[in-house]
Amino acid sequence: MLTYCLRRLLYSIPVLLVASFLLFGFVRSTFDPTSRLRASRDPSVVQAERDRLGLNDPLVVQYGSWLKDAVSGDLGVSSRTNEDVSSMLWRAMGKTLQLIVIGAFVSAFIAVGVGVFSAVRQQSVPDYLITGLSYVGVAMPPFWFGLIAIQVFGVQLGWFKFVGLHSGDSTAYDVDYLKHLVLPVATLCVQIVASWSRYERASMLDALGADYVRTARAKGVPRYKVIFKHALRNALIPLVTVMALDIGALFGGLIITEQIFSIGGMGRLFLDALLQGDVYVLEAWMIVVAALIILFNLFADVIYGILDPRIRLS
Amino acid sequence: MRRQRRGVQLLALVFCFGLLAAACGSDKKATGNAASGSSSSSSAAVPKGGTLTIGAEQEPDCADWVGTCGGSSWGFWMMQVQTMPRAFDVLKDSSGTYSYKPSIVLKGEPTLETSPKQKVTYQISDQAVWNDSKPITSTDFKYTWDQVANGTAIYDRTGYKDIESVDDSNPKVAVVTYKNTYADWKSLFGGQFGILPSHILQGQDRDAMMKDGYTFSGGPWVIQQWAKQDSITLVPNPNYWGTKPSLDKVIFKFQADTSAEFQAFKAKEVSVVYPQPQLDAVDQIQAGIPDTQKIVSTETGNFESLWINNSKAPFDDVKVRQAVAFAIDRKALVERLFGGLGVHDPLQFINAGINKAYEQTDAFAKYVKDLKQVDTLLTGDGYAKGSDGIYAKGGTKLSFTVRSTAGNKRRELTEQVLQQQLKDAGIDMQIDNAKAGDLFGSILPQGDFQAGIYAQVLTALTPGNCTLFCSSNIPKSPDFSGNNWTRTSNPELDTLLATVDSNLHESARTTAAKKAQTILSDNMNTLPIDPLPNVLLWSNKVVGPVGDNAILGPFFNINEWGISA
Repeated sequence: MLTYCLRRLLYSIPVLLVASFLLFGFVRSTFDPTSRLRASRDPSVVQAERDRLGLNDPLVVQYGSWLKDAVSGDLGVSSRTNEDVSSMLWRAMGKTLQLIVIGAFVSAFIAVGVGVFSAVRQQSVPDYLITGLSYVGVAMPPFWFGLIAIQVFGVQLGWFKFVGLHSGDSTAYDVDYLKHLVLPVATLCVQIVASWSRYERASMLDALGADYVRTARAKGVPRYKVIFKHALRNALIPLVTVMALDIGALFGGLIITEQIFSIGGMGRLFLDALLQGDVYVLEAWMIVVAALIILFNLFADVIYGILDPRIRLS
Repeated sequence: MRRQRRGVQLLALVFCFGLLAAACGSDKKATGNAASGSSSSSSAAVPKGGTLTIGAEQEPDCADWVGTCGGSSWGFWMMQVQTMPRAFDVLKDSSGTYSYKPSIVLKGEPTLETSPKQKVTYQISDQAVWNDSKPITSTDFKYTWDQVANGTAIYDRTGYKDIESVDDSNPKVAVVTYKNTYADWKSLFGGQFGILPSHILQGQDRDAMMKDGYTFSGGPWVIQQWAKQDSITLVPNPNYWGTKPSLDKVIFKFQADTSAEFQAFKAKEVSVVYPQPQLDAVDQIQAGIPDTQKIVSTETGNFESLWINNSKAPFDDVKVRQAVAFAIDRKALVERLFGGLGVHDPLQFINAGINKAYEQTDAFAKYVKDLKQVDTLLTGDGYAKGSDGIYAKGGTKLSFTVRSTAGNKRRELTEQVLQQQLKDAGIDMQIDNAKAGDLFGSILPQGDFQAGIYAQVLTALTPGNCTLFCSSNIPKSPDFSGNNWTRTSNPELDTLLATVDSNLHESARTTAAKKAQTILSDNMNTLPIDPLPNVLLWSNKVVGPVGDNAILGPFFNINEWGISA
């Protein structure tokens, strides 16, 4: 398994190199990090800044310089804020992690419950209702749901808060924090729950129709034990794989949610950096997000093998 | 296994309880009458204590005001103005005119000598101290000059590079001698940069010490915390020698955009907002927001124009430029954009409203919609109207493309209105918008446009238009630095605008500025559109002399604000 993991990681290196070079080239040719200085009355400032940032060097030289530092662990300094890129990433990652961990937990909890219920009550009215709602959930754009949720639950009813993760300058994890979490987590969960619950329903139906479940029933095992101990355990295996893949992708995929709720996570970091042509931040962001996706993909493969010993990684 | 399962159940229970508690524990919605007049202040007594939360549309890049990362307007309003001492304040007098007034850092008006060299002597107040009780001295003036004039990665050396020396032999008297005359000397040792504390920064890496916020202050507030991507917190400076803050704390909470800011304001998550006058903001203000007050100010440091590339056809022809100006109904346009805010009249000079004292304020008033004039000008120039109703000359249609910032709804509406008005007059206008970074980073500096719609924002009370219209500031390859993007080139204008920038006599500057404005109008180098109003909204809970300052921003006197229970 170790060889398998190492091989997968090695395969990802050339992909990362090509992707990072393309990103570097696209950003450098599209966004000018000195554009914010055009308002300065001092015409020499733009040229001085171009010299300082090395923008007059050929693209390959600029990229090479960045790569050399990056492989030695130095992700550089933001051209926009003069701040260490690594500290910017850590800070943003902390906020995104809060959303992802809580969102994934809530989504898994609801999706498994809904999927099991739907499978057990297959072709009943509640099943049709849940199926319909799932399609709505999958089709609903997160930004639309988020804005409606803000308007209804934030502005009109005033139940929840929607600016950042804390009120004022608080950093406490208290009721106020929960009030801030509800709407972004709900926005994050809507699509995920809809999709995960469909997976869970399908695998649960497979499991409920399997021989070992029929055997357990024939042996007189109580219904709840058959569902939760025999069927659900096996039905979770495909869902765990999907969850691992989805969670990995979420690290870079919360741009809209974070923007709507003014949360300074990875999504907003990406957007701010992109609009300002802050290439070092974008490169570091891409590397971290890609590494997380690769790791979670790897984790999905490994966990699949662990959960189902019949599968061997090779 | 059983224990594990119980753990999960318990966790789920706790989480669900948390959600319930969060839902049930919500604030009660405030009720009351709408009160959204245009009063500039609330006369209620200012209570002591409390925390005020303000919505901030942008997070600054850094707090090193001198450095290239320090040019953010919001950073200036939220932190610089509150913490950095300055030689001059920009204040509005009883007649509504903005002017420089010596700040409490000085004992009074500095002495200006004009010959043999320009020399300014600042007498520093004995009470002026930093928050660590160390006095503000002439060495701080000297250090500030040295950093701006000689430092690396500096945002703007204008003025400072004209200084020859700063004499700090007397700690309470700073004598600044200029090698080149600089008329706008009052904007130095203040303005965007303030005065830097030499006793803290001398010999240190200034940028490293300031960029993420700093603990020193010579203003009413101290930066307690800058939680990146979230908020900035200010607390009172206990050693401030002016009016001490009434509030215990001010928090600027960063908002994703204007819409989010409005939602947060309506939900009372923030008590004050200073939104950009975008269309949806104007609509919401017009509809009224309960329990709030507002100020709409047209005398601002901003102005929007139809900026014309004078070097590119068809605008290399003055008659075409004039015809376009006569084809546009600017009053109707401004009414459509800002009528809901009570702003009805177009700007009639090319400069920010706060500089009106220097300008010929009716210079462009002659350009009102007049289709007869359009026809006279264009037919006199060899154009003839085609069967499609568009003028053409030598088989070429009179057509141009306007470029602006993509996604800005207000500017998109401006373009649509202009397109229709020009079409009615027989001129074809196409629209090709670009991302702000591309527009200001390359398209405008490189002259890759015929006309553009964007705003200029003043950061100092200076009437000089040389940056925008002197031929020496036309961007040139390879770096395309210089801000004369309209490629205006007129020797007479150059001389006049140079006088405005360098003459130390106010009357001479004013005369030259007014004459320059007339030349700009006669040649129709660019068409001013609107003053781009500032809008400040605040909850009725906020009391004190709430108002807007076109240069120092809306929070310039927040030390005098309070919040009622």
